[in-house]
Amino acid sequence: MAEGGDAEWELSKENIQPLKRGRAAAALQQALCQRQDGPGSAVQQQKQAFESELRIYNGEDPLDVWDRYVKWTEQTFPQGGKESNLATLLERAVTLFTEEEKYHNDARYVDLWIKFAEICPEPLEIYRYMQAQRIGGSQASFYIAWSAEYERQGNSRKADNIYQEGFNNFAEPRDKLLQFHKALQARVSRQVMTNMGDEDSDQESNEPERISLVDLKHRGKKKAIVPVNRVRAVLGHNSRGLPSQAAPAQGGSKNSRFMIFDENNGPPAETSAPKLETWAAPPPVRAKENEQKPEKWCDVKMPQRSRFGHKIVAPPVTKPTFQPFVEESDEPPTMTPCKINSAVNTVLSARKPCQEETPLKRLQDHRRLQQPQEMEGGKMQEKRMYCNELLFSGATEFCFEELRAERYRQKMAEETEGRAQTSQSSSEH
Amino acid sequence: MSLFGTATTFGAGGTGVFGATTTDSHNPMKDVEVTSPPDDSISCLAFSPPTMAGNFLIGGSWANDVRCWEVQDNGQTVPKAQQMHTGPVLDVCWSDDGSKVFTASCDKTAKMWDLNSNQAMQIAQHDGPIKSIHWIKAPNYSCIMTGSWDKTLKFWDTRSPNPMLSLTMTERCYCADVVYPMAVLATAERGLIVYQLENQPSEFRRIDSPLKHQHRCVAIFKDKQNKPTGFALGSIEGRVAIHYINPPNPAKDNFTFKCHRSNGTNTATPQDIYAVNAISFHPVHGTLATVGSDGRFSFWDKDARTKLKTSEQLDQPITACCFNSNGNIFAYASSYDWSKGHEYYNPQKKNYIFLRNAAEELKPRNKKW
Repeated sequence: MAEGGDAEWELSKENIQPLKRGRAAAALQQALCQRQDGPGSAVQQQKQAFESELRIYNGEDPLDVWDRYVKWTEQTFPQGGKESNLATLLERAVTLFTEEEKYHNDARYVDLWIKFAEICPEPLEIYRYMQAQRIGGSQASFYIAWSAEYERQGNSRKADNIYQEGFNNFAEPRDKLLQFHKALQARVSRQVMTNMGDEDSDQESNEPERISLVDLKHRGKKKAIVPVNRVRAVLGHNSRGLPSQAAPAQGGSKNSRFMIFDENNGPPAETSAPKLETWAAPPPVRAKENEQKPEKWCDVKMPQRSRFGHKIVAPPVTKPTFQPFVEESDEPPTMTPCKINSAVNTVLSARKPCQEETPLKRLQDHRRLQQPQEMEGGKMQEKRMYCNELLFSGATEFCFEELRAERYRQKMAEETEGRAQTSQSSSEH
Repeated sequence: MSLFGTATTFGAGGTGVFGATTTDSHNPMKDVEVTSPPDDSISCLAFSPPTMAGNFLIGGSWANDVRCWEVQDNGQTVPKAQQMHTGPVLDVCWSDDGSKVFTASCDKTAKMWDLNSNQAMQIAQHDGPIKSIHWIKAPNYSCIMTGSWDKTLKFWDTRSPNPMLSLTMTERCYCADVVYPMAVLATAERGLIVYQLENQPSEFRRIDSPLKHQHRCVAIFKDKQNKPTGFALGSIEGRVAIHYINPPNPAKDNFTFKCHRSNGTNTATPQDIYAVNAISFHPVHGTLATVGSDGRFSFWDKDARTKLKTSEQLDQPITACCFNSNGNIFAYASSYDWSKGHEYYNPQKKNYIFLRNAAEELKPRNKKW
């Protein structure tokens, strides 16, 4: 069985998203083997159990359920993707406890925030938001994650500053922060040593550059577009690809007879050797494009030249002796003739003015809604008289009956357990 | 009763004193009370079909039972029989000849209750609680349709332990309605699926929800030729959508309206929004009734787009409603619908089913009858 399982895991390796904390082999094994099962499988049941626990829990530490649920989701859906609902889950969890002061420096809560930031399109904004809300201010992991994001974007100076801030705020555990800070410094100095040109990284850090033959940077699953912006800073500390940008040109001249064309080095080569000449006369007019006046081109003939340079006289255009058949209605339409009744045409409608809703914006909106006095707008206010937070907790929604049925199920389970215990104790006597 | 009386005996919770002082709010509409109502929230109500002589009312409850009352012409109700499930009952329906009642339960089974022999037997099995059950009578077949939280819709010949057809949905079934040859199913995540039932049930169309919030109840309405032509869909956020399947002019014919909200005209205080718990169409006039978590029922004329009546507020939500076959009786159930969660559940609170004369109040106003 173990061997078969090994094969399974080998086969679907590419479907496993890396996880910082690593993956439990057993969970991975189970998750990959269960792909074939439909709904109603153990995974679904487990998920359902978590969903109901989120709603029923009334103990002291509601974050615990969320924490376990998120960790379980990470382990159970190694390939990530929509079905795992991890993004929704993280967002809900993070939003839910923004008002809970006691969690603001809870390692688990900060960890959820970091995971959330990592899947967001703009992690830095999230980190800044966290700082503004004083979430994770005394947690070393927060500064480490924040700094790592700066480093990933190639801004080593900012990355270093973040550590300084961490030290200033007495983030704990200090040892960990120190250790990571040292590692960062080591990386940066190594970068400088290998002539990475740290000075230009600051200005260019935000400009995507195209680099051949390097790994593409993972940008979280939110941005599932084909990644055309290959960020140069990938080279930073993960130099499995080509060691540096300058290297290919040198290497090419040294040990190979042909040049590898590197588009990044193309344009600068031209400008690097400017010929300094005094302008005796205005520069000669070279063959310019677009010199001709705009005119109708449909009856203009390009003068054709033979290989030897002299003109070839085009044969006179002979009109065909026959009349081509033209359909009566076949006039070139000035616009698409399709007239769709706009009232009926619900299939294609103009896209609404795009109001991109980033997770951060949703968070801020949520905060604003928490403070009703700011809601005093001209719009009529509405107040939900049902338990919305219970219906839309977790990754899936529940209806009233489902909530109630979960309660009922729990009560029944307790009763049967209690009965089993009493019968046991009575049989002992 | 005096104020002192209530203050001193409140803790005891005696039904006599408590009931007497709150008479006005538990039955503000002065409607007929059905005798021996269920001991827990009433989840569903159904009147016997027109083929049966007399009126019989079936009610399922969270106390795991299904009860049958005979409603006499003078308004008196006589409890007739009762059947039990091993879990809360979520839906009931009648067979077209009125000889049988089908019940769907949280115990993942559906039962057929033969009223003549008072025997009940299991006829369906799901992997999750069954939320909806409907009898389908087609010229070439008849069956039971069950929609469940296990994300399947199953069709059962009552004689076989296996379904004759099982359709998978993307989400859990929240509510459904059937008027041959049309079935409409509203699911979690605001899914809406229309099925056609001719020859064999099959998916007809998926519709983008006209509502922005969770679906809660759905009811099919008919056109002048007595054919199903659209449905009314209610959401948890105090709104009902009227949606035609093939309207000549969708932008104009389909619409939504607000309901079960407090102080609609007063803008100074926030408007309270309640869930729409059930919708029922009048079998004769084609007008509709909605009941809500706010403890009110309202009658509407969807063609004139007007409200015909709104009731006084009951002290509990109204969880279910239905009309009898000729539309003279409107039954509604007052009990807790879990809309505020577990904390607001009071098991001591008595549940009621009321009967109201619906012959006049549901007539469309502009027509001369």
